[in-house]
Amino acid sequence: MPQPATQPLADVVSRALDALEALGLLAEEIEDEWTYVTDLGEAQRTRLQAIADRRPVDEVTADRAAAVDLAIEETGRIADAHKAIDWLSTFPDLVAMALDEPVGGAATDAGGAIDAAPTPRPA
Amino acid sequence: MRFQDASPDARAVVYAGIQADPLVARLATLLTDATPAQLVLARAVMNGETTDPAIWRAMVPSCFPDERSEAILRASLEVADRGEQVRSQFRGAVVEALTQVLLARRAGSSASVRRERRILFDGVRAEIHPYDVTVEQPGRSEAYDCKWSARGIGADVLHQLDDARSHAADEEEPLAVSLVVFDTRLACRVRLDRQTAPHERTGLVTFETLGVLATGG
Repeated sequence: MPQPATQPLADVVSRALDALEALGLLAEEIEDEWTYVTDLGEAQRTRLQAIADRRPVDEVTADRAAAVDLAIEETGRIADAHKAIDWLSTFPDLVAMALDEPVGGAATDAGGAIDAAPTPRPA
Repeated sequence: MRFQDASPDARAVVYAGIQADPLVARLATLLTDATPAQLVLARAVMNGETTDPAIWRAMVPSCFPDERSEAILRASLEVADRGEQVRSQFRGAVVEALTQVLLARRAGSSASVRRERRILFDGVRAEIHPYDVTVEQPGRSEAYDCKWSARGIGADVLHQLDDARSHAADEEEPLAVSLVVFDTRLACRVRLDRQTAPHERTGLVTFETLGVLATGG
């Protein structure tokens, strides 16, 4: 059956969110990292949902939708909980990039306690 | 404050072999001018299961066609092909080598950029773990700890970096300390939000800001 030329972005993000949830459930097996896993999963879910909310009528081309589906398939191959934790940070970026969104999520880059400048400063 | 080579233990000897692998240097060199998207590609491939390059090209279409992306994909697949245990050591070595190359660009010479160094302070017991990369210049030294992922950020490394900065300040020697994390700022911020160890004066370098190592920002 031929693929449609475009797909609603909301549908693509919805599939990605399902995959993200499954990754999170696998990652939660590492009890020592439960807090980090749930925090990161929630941050990534919020980030991906925000893309869908911001672009409610956008369509995604077939190759970009296929890119997201391939990333989802890749998460399905992850069987190790430690690796799933790593993929909780990587997978949403693959999705974002396929949707022409910035790496890391631009909205999350502001603020925070840590100094982002690595250059030497007087002690 | 003074710098010293770390005493090579058994782990260090094995790891030195990995650090010296030409694949580490090749991938680090490719990543020095990589875009954030290409860094994500490298991280995904090195941590992935799929070994078919065609699938990765289709999965990350924004990176292709592009010569550097192809080279990064090829080298990252070679790392992934080393097996689970070895690949994790390779990944760490790549992040360290990448940091070293970028810092050497800024320093103008690789002579002052060193690996696996301890920092000693008068009257303070030396840390067991060496710093991954140091820039050793009078009055403006730097110490870096390199991590493959945000998950690697923990209380131990935050204390070690901040203690070094603090001890250096006690000796009136400026020492900038930073984490270089091969991950996004979002993941690092989520990780740091729950950390109570001091990190207010520790730099954070992520995919989004890696280039700052070379330019000084």
